[in-house]
Amino acid sequence: MFKKSRDNKKDPASPNRMMLRRTLFLMIVCGIVAFIALGARLFKLQILDHDIYETAAVEQQLRETTVPAKRGTIYDRNMNILAMSASVSNIYISPAEIEMYDEDPAFIASGLANILGLDYATIYEKTSHTDSWYSTVAKKVEDDLADRVRQFKEENHLNGVKIEEASKRYYPYGSLASHVLGFVGADDNGMAGLEYYYDDLLSGVDGRIVRATNAYGTDMMFTDFEDYYDAQDGQSIVTTIDETVQYYLESHLQTAVEEYDLQDGAAGIVMDVKTGGILGMASLGNFDPNDYLAISPEAQERVNTTLVESEEQRDALIAEERNLQWRNKALTETYEPGSVFKIITLATGLETGAVNTSSTFYCGGSINVLGRTDPLNCWNVVGHGNETLTEAAMFSCNVAFTYIGQKIGAERFYQYMRAFGLFDKTGVDLTGEAGSLWWSEDVFFNKANLSQLAAASFGQTFTITPIQLITAVSAVANGGYLMEPFLVKEVLDSEGTVVSQREPTVVRQVISEETSRTCCEILEQVVSGRNATGKNAYVAGYRVCGKTGTSEDVNYEVEHGTKKYIASFLGFAPANDPQVAVLVLCENPGKDSVVGSASGGSMGAPTVGAILQDVLPYLGVKPQYGEGEEGLVDQRVPRLVGKTPDEARELLANAGFSVKSVVGEGAAVTAQLPAANAKVAAGSEIILYCGETPPQEPVQMPNLLGLSYEVARIRAGWEDLYIKGEGVMMNSIYILTTRQSIEPGMLVAPGTVVTVTLSDSSMGATART
Amino acid sequence: MPAKDNTVTYESSRLADYTYDNSIERGAIDLPFALMTLLLLTVGVIMVLSASFARAYYDPTNETGGNATYYFVRQALFALCGVGVMFVCSRFPMGFYRHISGIVVAVSGVLLVLVLIPGIGERVNGASRWINLGFTTFQPSEIAKIGVIMYFSALICRNKERLTDIRSLVPFAVVLGVICLLLVAEPHMSAIIIILAIGLVMLFLGGLPLRWFVIGGSVGAALLGFGYAMFGYVRNRFAAWLNPFADASDAGYQIVQSLYSIGSGGLLGLGLGNSRQKYLYLPEEHNDFIFSVVCEELGFIGAMLILVLFALLIVRGYWLSMHARDRYSALVGAGITTHLAMQVILNVAVCTNSIPCTGISLPLFSYGGTALLLQMAELGIILSLSRDIPEKR
Repeated sequence: MFKKSRDNKKDPASPNRMMLRRTLFLMIVCGIVAFIALGARLFKLQILDHDIYETAAVEQQLRETTVPAKRGTIYDRNMNILAMSASVSNIYISPAEIEMYDEDPAFIASGLANILGLDYATIYEKTSHTDSWYSTVAKKVEDDLADRVRQFKEENHLNGVKIEEASKRYYPYGSLASHVLGFVGADDNGMAGLEYYYDDLLSGVDGRIVRATNAYGTDMMFTDFEDYYDAQDGQSIVTTIDETVQYYLESHLQTAVEEYDLQDGAAGIVMDVKTGGILGMASLGNFDPNDYLAISPEAQERVNTTLVESEEQRDALIAEERNLQWRNKALTETYEPGSVFKIITLATGLETGAVNTSSTFYCGGSINVLGRTDPLNCWNVVGHGNETLTEAAMFSCNVAFTYIGQKIGAERFYQYMRAFGLFDKTGVDLTGEAGSLWWSEDVFFNKANLSQLAAASFGQTFTITPIQLITAVSAVANGGYLMEPFLVKEVLDSEGTVVSQREPTVVRQVISEETSRTCCEILEQVVSGRNATGKNAYVAGYRVCGKTGTSEDVNYEVEHGTKKYIASFLGFAPANDPQVAVLVLCENPGKDSVVGSASGGSMGAPTVGAILQDVLPYLGVKPQYGEGEEGLVDQRVPRLVGKTPDEARELLANAGFSVKSVVGEGAAVTAQLPAANAKVAAGSEIILYCGETPPQEPVQMPNLLGLSYEVARIRAGWEDLYIKGEGVMMNSIYILTTRQSIEPGMLVAPGTVVTVTLSDSSMGATART
Repeated sequence: MPAKDNTVTYESSRLADYTYDNSIERGAIDLPFALMTLLLLTVGVIMVLSASFARAYYDPTNETGGNATYYFVRQALFALCGVGVMFVCSRFPMGFYRHISGIVVAVSGVLLVLVLIPGIGERVNGASRWINLGFTTFQPSEIAKIGVIMYFSALICRNKERLTDIRSLVPFAVVLGVICLLLVAEPHMSAIIIILAIGLVMLFLGGLPLRWFVIGGSVGAALLGFGYAMFGYVRNRFAAWLNPFADASDAGYQIVQSLYSIGSGGLLGLGLGNSRQKYLYLPEEHNDFIFSVVCEELGFIGAMLILVLFALLIVRGYWLSMHARDRYSALVGAGITTHLAMQVILNVAVCTNSIPCTGISLPLFSYGGTALLLQMAELGIILSLSRDIPEKR
């Protein structure tokens, strides 16, 4: 074109031709060339790079909304709900939309602050971040409050106030079984316990709604692009935990904590010995999974009284207290089991033939052990004298068990320990199980030094977990079968249909059924035998087996300078067909203990006895009363109102009561003392009122301590008061009341039932077995 | 205006200056040009409906009251008026336009001054480009463009000889300089570019020696470099052009969204009305970036059809100018066609990120009443000159 233009210059006579040429040039450039270039550019963008841009565009246009899957429920074995999720709402504001729609931030802030009870200034501050589309005001708000927010939003046409669905985890029983259940974090993710272990099962799969939205995140009008991916609700689990058993376990552990001034709390396990299913598992102090971050007032007090230099240090202390309360000691604490372990030594000795029921021992208070410079003392330094195998167990004789251990031999001893599962974790379906710690084989098998074997035979110098111990003892009790302990027996889908069911898992048979039977017989004597160490675990009507244990935490002494004892007891019943085993650990009894010095017999045994007394009838184990037991059984007072005095007399006689007096002239009973269904000591004398009202003046509670059960009942009867018993419900000159639930001297209404605790007062204070 | 002088001058060339010779009977308007214009206008109005209803519905700027057809109805009314204006303009003889050339450019100059006065000119985003008439707003720069075309054509026709004498360039330079200065004061970068380009094209057609363009081009490039070095926002524009994705949420936002729209259209597009990017992602979707929505909805094929239509219209415009009866008509016709072509090319180039982003509307498509009326008037002038073409092929 430039050439042509130059041609034009040479031909000044024809300017118009030049104009035509230049127009033609423009036509080609602006009408053709440019458009070809633009077409090529479009081809590149729309055809060649189409995928890149489409992907990027779709990514910004589609919004994914999660539809949270409903978390599964945790049931106890009777389908009581232990943990459940309910829908709640999260309230948030969109400061950007508040600005965009010109809504009044002050009005919104004050409205929300009013409804939700929050700080106005905080919310108002949030409205100022106008580049934000999401600013949380309140999380997990209950439905009624959320409805009020919704109403506020709709009445005032507020686009900037938003409500979204969320879910909240509820634990209806509060702290009950908190260590087993665990808790969930802010996003409903399991963080401890079963909630954590079965998180994948419980949480399900969140659903999604993918939809096209405009740049402001609201629906794209006139387009129906929407894709649903349904949420798969979480599965529910049915545990082996029995809410009632758990309650008994925890309440009796709590009593123990208070009675024995347990500095480090208590732990306990109730196990179905036949299946390995865990009926109850507790560790005190515990926490409320509904508010798992809150620490107990005592812990708060400890934090407050500790001198701290900074907030961080205080936070660290609080975090420490939280970790402490979240610890499931029944699973994570390794300890020297002490004499309770003699059950295992006994079973091993019998199974290997090292000893038999007719073996006898002599305890002179100490025994010389190869490899030890000083003789090994029995806890009873005077010595138990001549004793049978049963007596050795009854009196928890260390000398006899040292002898049994040596008869078994180190290699066989370890072989059986391994077989009892004491070298491995039990595999219970809960996180955090600790492992055991044993001497290495070359130390333990040293023929020249039997001191390790000697100490091990009565449960010292190695550490195991409570769950390992109760699992091993259950094998002794159930005919020799080592079971794998478990907590979840069924998995249900969201409809409640059973998805999978767990059968009890036998790991191996460790001892013969015969050995098991023999062990049960011997261990029954530990509880019911005369002057036996486990007497306080006695439950009238039930043949309870068990073994006491008192262990010392050696590390604690090194760290704290004071001794820490763990008084424990492991009991199972009934002896002829063991159903349930209970292990209780009372940790670090303090100076305010009601029973003096710490021992498994004085602290563990009564606690286990109290638990078994509640649990066995609850589990439907029929009581079989022996001679002299009947009188100590408490009975329920029948309902007598409406009956004639004669009918009432007969009903009462049948129930094991008698009539003290009939007050009034009426033909029928109008009131009674004590109230119907009250459980009181058999033989109590009931007062009937026929037309008269029972007296209202309070009476003074007499001192009922140090009496036998019968004497206590009669003494209470003088004041028209009644007693019921707990503890060692046994007729013996040694079994006396050691505690009463209402302090002497208190004013109470006539007819009040006071609970008295019976214990074996003959338990030696030094009987640390 | 020495009209008489012109009428008596007769040259042998077909492009001789006999604008005022009314002795020749005017023929019919050029049908292909008129039909293509109407076709593009129709498609354009439909595209305004499609592109704008999301914004009109959501109404983030509190303009439409949530009425989804707000922009469409207004654009359709203006389009109808525009058709009327086009045919009215096609009725006026070319002599009339030549006669009022000076008035138009003078009026546009006055308006460009008025728009700078606060209270008359509306200040939007720091620039005074609009005059609000109450029922509508318009940009005086639009009038300045046609003013420059008409006045330059008339000036060139007055210069008997070619524009070889530097003194003959003074009026051109004065007019262009004043207008550009006023536009700088607004400021209105894209209008300056277009008006400068129009001015240069007019001089080019008028016979300005090519070596002057070489010199002018060098000066222009130097100015461009100066601007690049001096003004931060110019540099930012260039940076956003070279890599819009580097700052996709801010400086590159418009470009990125436009590319998403165009790219996701693919070969066949999402279908008329189905753009997703128009849901407030793409800014100015019914305005400067309406072509992006066209690409997204109608695909490569649809967009190319529209571009081809534009190209044909432009080619036809030049063709008619080349066959114009007189020199003035030829110059005005080529000027208007170039203006049209530049708007289309620059707009599409901006949408496709072929050049740095600047606000240029797409003729017959972009929403905007007065701009549309002026475009229709310009096309009406071409139709007017087409009527003077003695014989049509």
